[in-house]
Amino acid sequence: MKALGQVVATLSHIPGVIAAMVVGASDGLIVETSALMGGAVGAADPRKHTAALAAYLYSKVTRASDAARLGTPAFMRLEAEKGHICVVGARDVVLVTIVTPDANLGRVRLDMMNAARANHE
Amino acid sequence: MSDPTVAEAWVAAPLRRLMEDARLISGVLLYPTGRAVGQFGFSNAADVMSICALTSAINASARELGRQLDGKPFYEMHHAGADRQVFMARAAAGGQELLFVGVFDRESSLGVVEIYFAEFQKALETLRPEKQVAGARPSGDFEGELNRSLDALFGPIGKP
Repeated sequence: MKALGQVVATLSHIPGVIAAMVVGASDGLIVETSALMGGAVGAADPRKHTAALAAYLYSKVTRASDAARLGTPAFMRLEAEKGHICVVGARDVVLVTIVTPDANLGRVRLDMMNAARANHE
Repeated sequence: MSDPTVAEAWVAAPLRRLMEDARLISGVLLYPTGRAVGQFGFSNAADVMSICALTSAINASARELGRQLDGKPFYEMHHAGADRQVFMARAAAGGQELLFVGVFDRESSLGVVEIYFAEFQKALETLRPEKQVAGARPSGDFEGELNRSLDALFGPIGKP
């Protein structure tokens, strides 16, 4: 994988990405993170919670995918009222992005998949 | 997953929530003196007694080690075993320090435990012990305090 700092920098420059993180797949702890874009002053930083819960959710989705005999999940997107959380597994880490509703999701998906693929090579 | 048993009723709700949200297998909340306040996941008083004694000793050692190395006590500790992991950290309620030790496996993660423990800490801070806890400070009778708290959790030993 490219340097982790480079991965989050690349992902965080995609329009609509609020935060990009590399998170430990098993412990849910942040390994590398971008700055939080557009966060309200004084508002709670959502990155730590999002990282831990997204990694946890991805591990459950992996089990569900296995149970359905679909293999390893390639890309997970959680659509919420005010945006999306995207997760891609990359060996021992997961890439997590928090994205606005109007972001170019195709670009986010492509760049996340490319970063994860680079980790497998 | 069994409900927590508590020696002090005010910790029951936050302890249950922590257990459920963080998907902990077992856990004990205690005073730094080793006196148990609540537990879940254990059916044997001897196990809780051992955990209280060890946690109290580990906290004292880690606190001093933190002071020596970092100028302040360590905030939390984590040990990752092959199958199960141990998380230990401090909380406070009504100015009284408490220790928590919890065990989890692959059904949870350190990140998840940390965020729900932070919520647990906040919940405790808003609560107050029902009365000033007698014996919350070291009295010198470690064994007696431990046995009294275990009696409150599991009933007097030998008296079903």
